[in-house]
Amino acid sequence: MTRYVLGRVAQAVGVLWAAYTVTFAVLYLLPSDPVALQLGAAGIETDKLSPSQLDAAMARYDLDRPVLEQYLTHLWNALHGDFGMSISKQVPVTDLLVDRIGATAALSLLAGTLSLIGGFALAYSASYLRWRPARLLLSRLPSVGASFPQFFVGLLLIQVFAFNLAWFPATGTDGFSSLVLPAVTISLLTSSVLAQVLMRSFDETLRQPYIVTARAKGLSRAAVQWKHAFRNAALPAMTILGVVVGLTVTSAIVTETVFSRNGIGKLAQEAVIAQDVPVVLAIVTFAAALFVVVNLVVDLLYPLLDPRIVHVQKVSR
Amino acid sequence: MSFRRSLSARRGVAAVAVTVAATLGLSACSSSDPGGSSAGDGGTPVAGGTLKVAFWPDNAAFTCVDPFQTYWIEHRTVIRNLADSLTDQDPKTGEIKPWLADSWKVSPDGLTYTFSLKQGVTFSDGSPVDAAAIKGNVDGWLDTVKATNGAAFGSSYVLGLKGAKVIDPKTVELDFSQPNSSFLQATSTTNLAIISPDSYAKTPAQRCAGDFTASGAFTLDSYKPNELLKIVKRPGYAWGSALSKNTGEAHLDAVEFTYVAEDSVRTGNLVSKAIDIAWPRNPFTVEDRELIERSDATVEQRSLPGVALTLFPNVSSGRILSDPAVRKALYKAIDLESYASTAYGKDYPVVGGPFDETTPYFAAQKDKLAFDRDEAEQLLDSAGWTRTGNGYRTKDGKRLTLVDQIQVLTPGDELLQDQLKQVGIDLKLDVVPAAERPAKIANGDYDLSGTYFTRADPGALQFILDPDLANSKALATNASTPETLAKIKALFAQAIQTTDEAESKKAYTELQALLIDEGVTYPIAERVQFAGVSKAVHGFSFTSESFLKLNDVWKSK
Repeated sequence: MTRYVLGRVAQAVGVLWAAYTVTFAVLYLLPSDPVALQLGAAGIETDKLSPSQLDAAMARYDLDRPVLEQYLTHLWNALHGDFGMSISKQVPVTDLLVDRIGATAALSLLAGTLSLIGGFALAYSASYLRWRPARLLLSRLPSVGASFPQFFVGLLLIQVFAFNLAWFPATGTDGFSSLVLPAVTISLLTSSVLAQVLMRSFDETLRQPYIVTARAKGLSRAAVQWKHAFRNAALPAMTILGVVVGLTVTSAIVTETVFSRNGIGKLAQEAVIAQDVPVVLAIVTFAAALFVVVNLVVDLLYPLLDPRIVHVQKVSR
Repeated sequence: MSFRRSLSARRGVAAVAVTVAATLGLSACSSSDPGGSSAGDGGTPVAGGTLKVAFWPDNAAFTCVDPFQTYWIEHRTVIRNLADSLTDQDPKTGEIKPWLADSWKVSPDGLTYTFSLKQGVTFSDGSPVDAAAIKGNVDGWLDTVKATNGAAFGSSYVLGLKGAKVIDPKTVELDFSQPNSSFLQATSTTNLAIISPDSYAKTPAQRCAGDFTASGAFTLDSYKPNELLKIVKRPGYAWGSALSKNTGEAHLDAVEFTYVAEDSVRTGNLVSKAIDIAWPRNPFTVEDRELIERSDATVEQRSLPGVALTLFPNVSSGRILSDPAVRKALYKAIDLESYASTAYGKDYPVVGGPFDETTPYFAAQKDKLAFDRDEAEQLLDSAGWTRTGNGYRTKDGKRLTLVDQIQVLTPGDELLQDQLKQVGIDLKLDVVPAAERPAKIANGDYDLSGTYFTRADPGALQFILDPDLANSKALATNASTPETLAKIKALFAQAIQTTDEAESKKAYTELQALLIDEGVTYPIAERVQFAGVSKAVHGFSFTSESFLKLNDVWKSK
């Protein structure tokens, strides 16, 4: 068990390092002049500067040192939670992240909860219903839900629930009511993804011989589905939970922009537009860390939910 | 991808105008009053309340609310209400009126400006707005110009300024090395707004973040870029310019500026009463305007003085537009009337020359800009560009493709693409994010690149066209041949380095004709500042620069 945990943790750290390094390489090795880009982000046009001013500006943003040295310094600082200064906003990147993280965390949490409820409810009712047309309809819904572009869904919800019905505000980062529409927008996608996986694994589990046995023993259909099928079918859903959490964060980029919410997603969008490399780097690292941590937690939960995984470990030892 | 459309930052902006006034036709157009102010009705002003204004996204490339450094229209709109200027400009007549300065004198040679200051005015930290404070500002401006090598936006307002002398506590003298005919108007702009001399001890970056003190009717409460900017009433304010009805404390307690990326959401917020004023950068679409007017809100509008929405060509050798005949054909191929009515609506003004019509010394070039498809075809034929099977023209096996560098794709761009296709020109729309733009322009890999500049003075254009002054040296260098550039510079010098208004007028009139004759600027559209204003808001008005002025604004309960 210890070896399993240590292995998983080591893997997580490796993934995180790779994500940081690849992002750094991509951002710094873009086929454009990183100096001009970064100075441009700070509102300075290089062709306006004299050579000595250009040198001074480059020194200010650490651009005058070799790439490898920049990389090592940045990595070392990042390990200490220091991602440098935002070029376009002139404030420490860490402050920006800390300032914005609450809004996105709340959004992710609500969207995640809605996805779980929505995904399970849909999958469960699809497998419970016996009337074929209704089953068919429900089983097709996730594909529809996953196909709608999020900015469109967002604008549609704003039009109906903010402008016409005035139930929720259209924009802002102000309390729970401003959270509802963006969370629904995101969960439409994520609950669809979840429901798709759940439906398939429900169908598969229900075809297993032990289900037939349970039914033959006289258990009701509902009891069989709830007690016997559900827990087994939920395992694959656990696996994609990491993906779903990740999706809620990446969806925040579009959703927060449409709803003018000040979270990490909107920060990412602003940083990309402004080519604010330190901020982009920090956000990618943060998102990667989130993926890694959620997946690590899922990996560590497996043995608890499915004892077979630990047994396999024991045998292989 | 409509959400992306409104996100990109467009550089543009600001303003000086001219000493002169009444004759210049600084007319404004507002739906309810042809002057700058309107909605004055509605009874006795009520004190209190928070006004909610929604802008489009904050400047992604340069976050800065320092008066002298910023070029961004929305930042300048906020600054107008935080910081006072030496003078104010009447949006109806263009006349320069007293504000922090009671009176002023300009020496006959145009080299000395003497300002006599209003007594009893203080910055919000309590320090006096006296001659020493003005001198502190002049020193601060000149230091900033030097530190940024002229890149700071305010540099364009202080050309020729040498320094200031304190004569007595209420009299200050500003000295010039050469005349600058637009300087008096410059003192009325937000870019030369007065902040406390202590603020100039801070770094330019600190000032950009809002770390400065001024004497305005509001003070900056907080600024979180692209999230929220909040200003609050300054108690005891009593020195508004006579152009405001209310020269004392503001009626409003506070004003909150938020940033909404999606145009339709901003409009919807206004219509559903979540905000009080929707302040778009690009003109409202016809649909949005109808939506606002059908609700009980009103649409206010005023042409932004300065350089029109313009495409600047790349005429460097080897590029297609180095051929004057093709440049001429381009004017004839573009139908500006249908552009205005299709992109912005039936009653939208058609651009008439290199400048918007509210710009002083505006001289219409309508004949030269008139649409004539046949003439365009003839010009291209005789220039050797012949039609091929697919409708596009070629010469020596090379297609007539023009790369138009844009930052956001608008329906107008696609309309232009279609208009040029009719005469066999292939307009390639190259979407370039703001941050990549400088490098792309420096590489010269474009044929047309759009920009504009809000400033009530034709001199604005030299900060696009003169490589020695321009923010983008490459764009300026590419826009005209060396011979034409020499003529342009001579005309600007003639217009600016004089105190004779007739001389300026003559030079600027000649200049506007030259720009079109030589194919240096391609005006595409008049720029109009729109605002959607809720019924609860009274006393709305535009400044001479078409910014929002809040002194008279109050909200009914």
